[in-house]
Amino acid sequence: MRAMTYQFDFKDLKITVSQIENVLGYTEGDDRTFVMDLIDELLIESQKICSVKAQYSVFNDVSFDKNSRSVNIEGISFDIKKIVFGQIKKSDSAALFLCTAGDEIGIRSRKAMQDRDFLKGYIYDVIGSEVVESAADLMQDKLEQAAASEGLKITNRYSPGYCGWDVAEQHKLFQLIPDNFCEIRLTESALMSPEKSISGIIGIGREVRSNSYTCRICDMKDCIYRKVKEKNL
Amino acid sequence: MSDILEKLALCVEFGKINKISPYPPNMKDQDGADELARKALESGIKPDEILENALIPAMAIVGGKFSRKEIYVPQMLMAAKAMNSAMVHIKPFFQSGETKRKGKFIIGTVSGDLHDIGKNLVAMMIEGGGWEVIDLGVDVGTEKFLKAIDEHPGSVIGLSALLTTTMENMKKTVAAIREKHSDLKILVGGAPVTMDYCQKIGADFYSPDPQGAVNYLKQLAS
Repeated sequence: MRAMTYQFDFKDLKITVSQIENVLGYTEGDDRTFVMDLIDELLIESQKICSVKAQYSVFNDVSFDKNSRSVNIEGISFDIKKIVFGQIKKSDSAALFLCTAGDEIGIRSRKAMQDRDFLKGYIYDVIGSEVVESAADLMQDKLEQAAASEGLKITNRYSPGYCGWDVAEQHKLFQLIPDNFCEIRLTESALMSPEKSISGIIGIGREVRSNSYTCRICDMKDCIYRKVKEKNL
Repeated sequence: MSDILEKLALCVEFGKINKISPYPPNMKDQDGADELARKALESGIKPDEILENALIPAMAIVGGKFSRKEIYVPQMLMAAKAMNSAMVHIKPFFQSGETKRKGKFIIGTVSGDLHDIGKNLVAMMIEGGGWEVIDLGVDVGTEKFLKAIDEHPGSVIGLSALLTTTMENMKKTVAAIREKHSDLKILVGGAPVTMDYCQKIGADFYSPDPQGAVNYLKQLAS
């Protein structure tokens, strides 16, 4: 269990129209007829244009400092703050990961916005986010299986920009992962390109555990994914 | 209010763009905002009246519903599209000077940040509130904001940021605008932005949703 690269087929992600409707905010009984056809059409298109990749690297040189609530990985100190620290502090090793839906879906979203077809642009954007999150779910499953084969467990995944962990710390994360990892680049302002990409950390060890619902521990009260998950609890 | 303006307002509120638009299903095969705005003008209703009595109130209802979470982003986008289809008929009167906007609003996502959905939602709601919107796009540097202010003196300024890293650029841009134009009103918004941050960087107004910005501009214009 060191480093793994995956290229996922769009169909493996099993993204459905109702899943996208859910993220858009619709609940049982809402009239969503006008968006259903458009979501269906854009999912078919997304299948053609998404290049879904995920990679992780496992690091054994990991130590935690409870005073500063930081984790040190191969000499680089991550100021992960209270929430993430509390979730991964019992890890013996850690996986740093990147996932992407590729460039094209972001380009399509932006183009539609520029053409003032805001609904199409917005739905492409939501699909792109779901694609990359679903890819991360699959990658996490693979890591969990690999860990289990060694008698280990994993934590949930945590990303810079969430749970109080500063998004600027993504620069440190990129220092530790191989160049051109998933062909994702990072701007000075810690924005990833392709924009539909995510990065983060997963703790690994005998004493760690993952939670089925982690939004409650996060401080982003208005996060769209929190609202969707809470609605479905 | 005339029957035609009432129907036009309903078309905007429920996102009925034109006659061929299948949405909403209960308005199928009926005239949409496009046809009704044209017919209203043909029947002699002044463009000002169309704006003030149909389009702006309809968008205010849409903004209120969104703030109360009674509708979602797609419905708001459809309403804005219906509004735009009516505005196509009104715009020539702005150009001729026969109809006046409430003011100018310059908006952009700050330097280093490419997120534009929130910025676009605010822009379309403010346009729906009767303002001329100058949208500078994303990754907008301070110089570009200052140039736009020079080109459109007296405008209200809106800055958007979605990352904590680019909020710093928001701060720099606000400071640069303040240095040259201490009298201009500056609105800020975006996921990590708060009222505290707004006050700390010297901006005038923060709203977590587009309608708050529309209401603030309404106060400024009155």
